[in-house]
Amino acid sequence: MTSFIQVVINGIMLGSMYGIAAAGLSLIFGTMRVIYLAQGTTIVFFAFVTYWLFVKAGIDPYLCLLIVVPLAFLVGLFLFYTFFRKAAALEDKNVSLLIAVGLMYLIENAMLKVWSANPRGLDIPYADATIAGWGLRVAWVRVALLGLAVLSAFVVYLFLKRTRLGTAVRAAAEDMEATTLQGINSTWVCAISFAVGIGLAGVAGVGMATVYSFDYQFGFTFAIKALIALSLGGIGNVFGALAGGLILGVIENLTAYYISISWIEAASYGVFILVLIFLPQGLFGRREIVKKV
Amino acid sequence: MANPLLEVKGLTVSYGDVRALEDVSLEVEEGSIVALVGSNGAGKSTLLKAIAGLLHPSRGHMLFNAEELGRLSTKHRVDRGIVLVPEGRRLFQTLTVLENLRLGAYLPRARANFDESLERVFGLFPVLKERANGKAGLLSGGEQQMLAIARAVMAHPKLVMIDEASLGLSPILTRTIFELIVALNQQGTTVLMVEQNIHMALNICNRAYVMKTGNIVLSGTGEELLANVDVRKAYMGERGGKL
Amino acid sequence: MKLIPDFSRVGRRKLIWAIVAAVVVVFFATLPFYYDVSEGEFGIFFFTVFIYGIVAQGWNLVAGYTGQISLGQNAFFGLGAFTTALLWFWDITHTGYWFDPVLMVLSMVAPAIVAILVGLPLLSRLRGDYFSFGTLGIGMIISVIFLNGGRITGGSEGKLLIKVMPEGVEFNLQTHYWVSFAVAVFATAVVYFLTTSRVGLALKAIREDEVSAASHGINVLKYKIMSFAVAAALAGIAGSVYCYYLLHPMPMNVFNMNFLFLPLVMVVLGGTGTIVGPWIGALIVYLIAWYGDKFFSGWHPVILGVVMILVMLLMPSGLAGLGEKLPHWGAGGSVGRRSK
Repeated sequence: MTSFIQVVINGIMLGSMYGIAAAGLSLIFGTMRVIYLAQGTTIVFFAFVTYWLFVKAGIDPYLCLLIVVPLAFLVGLFLFYTFFRKAAALEDKNVSLLIAVGLMYLIENAMLKVWSANPRGLDIPYADATIAGWGLRVAWVRVALLGLAVLSAFVVYLFLKRTRLGTAVRAAAEDMEATTLQGINSTWVCAISFAVGIGLAGVAGVGMATVYSFDYQFGFTFAIKALIALSLGGIGNVFGALAGGLILGVIENLTAYYISISWIEAASYGVFILVLIFLPQGLFGRREIVKKV
Repeated sequence: MANPLLEVKGLTVSYGDVRALEDVSLEVEEGSIVALVGSNGAGKSTLLKAIAGLLHPSRGHMLFNAEELGRLSTKHRVDRGIVLVPEGRRLFQTLTVLENLRLGAYLPRARANFDESLERVFGLFPVLKERANGKAGLLSGGEQQMLAIARAVMAHPKLVMIDEASLGLSPILTRTIFELIVALNQQGTTVLMVEQNIHMALNICNRAYVMKTGNIVLSGTGEELLANVDVRKAYMGERGGKL
Repeated sequence: MKLIPDFSRVGRRKLIWAIVAAVVVVFFATLPFYYDVSEGEFGIFFFTVFIYGIVAQGWNLVAGYTGQISLGQNAFFGLGAFTTALLWFWDITHTGYWFDPVLMVLSMVAPAIVAILVGLPLLSRLRGDYFSFGTLGIGMIISVIFLNGGRITGGSEGKLLIKVMPEGVEFNLQTHYWVSFAVAVFATAVVYFLTTSRVGLALKAIREDEVSAASHGINVLKYKIMSFAVAAALAGIAGSVYCYYLLHPMPMNVFNMNFLFLPLVMVVLGGTGTIVGPWIGALIVYLIAWYGDKFFSGWHPVILGVVMILVMLLMPSGLAGLGEKLPHWGAGGSVGRRSK
């Protein structure tokens, strides 16, 4: 029993990464109906940035958040205005999808050239610190990761619910033209939600760097995982996306523990396809939102 | 006579190769209610969208308060006081009534008058006050139409354009909505409305334009058009007629 | 469909195109007589172009003619390669020829069957992006199955086929060149005849407006699955031929994302929904990859990523679409539109 609980806890910690990434995807998809497939690769990019800040400048990874997240936000604005502004307005969403695919390929291979194919990990002095009790052990950095995920989901939730711009983002997610008719600059609203989504990728990147070792190729799988989390959680719901991520993490860890580590991927993609086919609104999604998609 | 509030001159709008509007001109006097009538596909909604800045004309001019609107974005038009209540209401269904109203008053000029506008809106539509924290999607059809108009009023507009206010409403509710539009107008807001319910529209409007396949074919005061044989035959079920 | 269907209306253009096609085919068919394809670098160059081009042509059928973006082409490619490798290794068919036609046909059939099996649930319920991600998931599952196949598939090591080479066969790239060229012609012909026939008309109707197509009595699901299966079969046979070149297929190399991404760039660059587009694209993309790697070692994928994005931003209907005046983005021959 203890081992089962340990496996579930580890799964939740792993899943919190997926959750942050999925929340970002959800925000971008919600407003623009664009699946930003390069999300995972972007996360790995920010993990590399954190790695550099840590190795070259000796900055503590949690302090890196203060640099990486604003940077990610700006990168998001840049990406939106350069690549997605026009494409997102098109009814043909395949254009945006293919741009994201191209971007993923580009960033991934650029990282390969710059940082080589060797996996990287941060040698954090306090990485071994754990909390233990009732026969369970969890590393502090993993707890911090979960905390980071919950905190960022909460911040995004507050932004969406309590600010004028956030309300405009929710309005745009529902009806872009009607939003424009209120005198709201809907391009700017899209840019903001894209930038916040990439900002979350920044958080996830730092989180990834603190806990996992990563390489340039890791991002693609990661994007798919975020997508699975998103489909589980349902679109248009930040906490749903987070919960979807946690569930996926648990499923993966249970598969690894009770079946085999090499079937993790098959299990998560299997869940993905089952959800896509039988539960397209996700576990926490609302039906009417899916109808519009 | 002073300049009209809105003046449209020789407006042509195309979708690809298809001309939706051809050389359309009309005037909307300040403080009046102007109705735009005609059958489906005549270009009425297109005209409103062009005035709102959602579509850009290939030719022609739009003057608001004697200023050229040109290629101003929707945002700037809303800021100048032109607001469109789109066909089908297009409320933000998952947002609350109050949030919808807040979005209506998004721009700084409107926001400065938020409390005042809210009071005015709640005065016109008391039901919205009761439902302020409910989801807009849960309102009834008539209440949704009221909210759509209220949301436009929140922008502190000079000209409200209403596309098919009576769509999907019962005759009694339609009457209520029309009374509210008249009340709104009496408070000083100019109204340009597209309407299927021609009889009612002609009854409340000061001036009306009849559109057919992208052109304005007839115009006059409400009474004149109500008395016009062709209008009666084409749009009010009487037989024959040239329109 | 941009360049081809106009033929029927303009007889002269049709003739010109037929002549151009004939010249190109004759040129490539006879190339080994005046150029040593087994030694010269263009032998392997064209072999690779043909392999990618075949996959591209299949992807083009699904994306360009039904508007569905499949992100699982690499899985069908790998499936074809492994079908050949495993049947060969375990000598199941007892044929054992070099470029065994039986294996090549079976390597088309297996992916096609898988495509139909997964296409039924995916295509009947998912549309647009959702279909893309479904195919992505399916592709991942297939490659994971081969990774975990233990002794049967050889796991991550794959199967070393050199040990089971048929007797008396000499590895000569000239054979690869000819076989890949023949398959390329075959693939193009299949797509050409499918799209110019009544089937093509149905596919185009589906791309333009699914609901309206269905209301005109077109069995939307049947045609979507058919084109998806044909695309899978083409990717499969390309994988089979490639397997005879690799002689050591491993999940890592035959399920490689390059077999998804490169054909995709080739099609969008050349022109989605055209017959010549994928070939123009294949040639240009592989030229970029080839010379890019020579001059900017390792940077060529980055260049290709940039090319891909620029094409989507500036000319989403590709090079073949440039000849046509398009009223706005995404019209006609561009990547298919999704119905509402």
